[in-house]
Amino acid sequence: MQGNAVNYEELIPGYEFPPASYELSASLVSKYLQAVDGAGDGFVPPLAITACVIAAMSGSFSLPPGTIAIHASQELEFFKLVPIGATIECHTRVAQKITRGKMSMLILELEIFDQGNEKVQSGKTTIALPT
Amino acid sequence: MLTEIQEGKTLNPVVKHITQEKINLYAEASGDFNPIHIDESFAAKTPFGGTIAHGMLNLAYVSEMMTSAFGQNWLSGGKLRAKFKESARPGDTMTINGKIDCVEQKDDVSYANCSFECRNQKGEAIVAGEVIVKLSSGKR
Repeated sequence: MQGNAVNYEELIPGYEFPPASYELSASLVSKYLQAVDGAGDGFVPPLAITACVIAAMSGSFSLPPGTIAIHASQELEFFKLVPIGATIECHTRVAQKITRGKMSMLILELEIFDQGNEKVQSGKTTIALPT
Repeated sequence: MLTEIQEGKTLNPVVKHITQEKINLYAEASGDFNPIHIDESFAAKTPFGGTIAHGMLNLAYVSEMMTSAFGQNWLSGGKLRAKFKESARPGDTMTINGKIDCVEQKDDVSYANCSFECRNQKGEAIVAGEVIVKLSSGKR
């Protein structure tokens, strides 16, 4: 967790995380391709972008003690490829927060833009928090 | 790449073996160090009873299958919806299957609507979902 992590209780529908920038370095892409047994083609694999953004986003809020965050579902739409070395900016907001019995679900919407402010991808991540 | 895009066409499956080493590599690459994925003693005490692979690792395999079938059309015009039903674990062999359910034409653009699923060696569904790929204008 980051030092300035937002508390889970503060995440209400409409909450917007501060925009976050990421540099998609050659070393990051190389590690990613090694992990997924992938072949490179000079562009950043779209799923590598999503993975980094989700991981960073998940680390930007603190969970209730003893809770494990589980990735329950994912929606994605890819608009354009970005070259290795590009910097992207991610905008994330809380779309929904649902509690069903002992299960809490957090639904986050994300939009990712390149340096020219063109949309690279958008998505919706559902994180389940069994308590 | 597929030479023929038609309803009912199955996509070339992808088969991957999950290891803790790959999970650890994926954690490093993505920055997702959730202990449920990488800390075996922590994970053993959870309801999962051991470490599990990142859901996004399985989606990377789905993307590999889609890239092989549709190339650039998937990478910059694809749409995916996936549900993580069960967890993939170290030692599992994942088989990712997919097929084209239908090809639709909207405003002079063709879309391939596909379904996919990832199953482990026991046949348990780990991830399932749908994909829509925007094809070149008028292509069918």
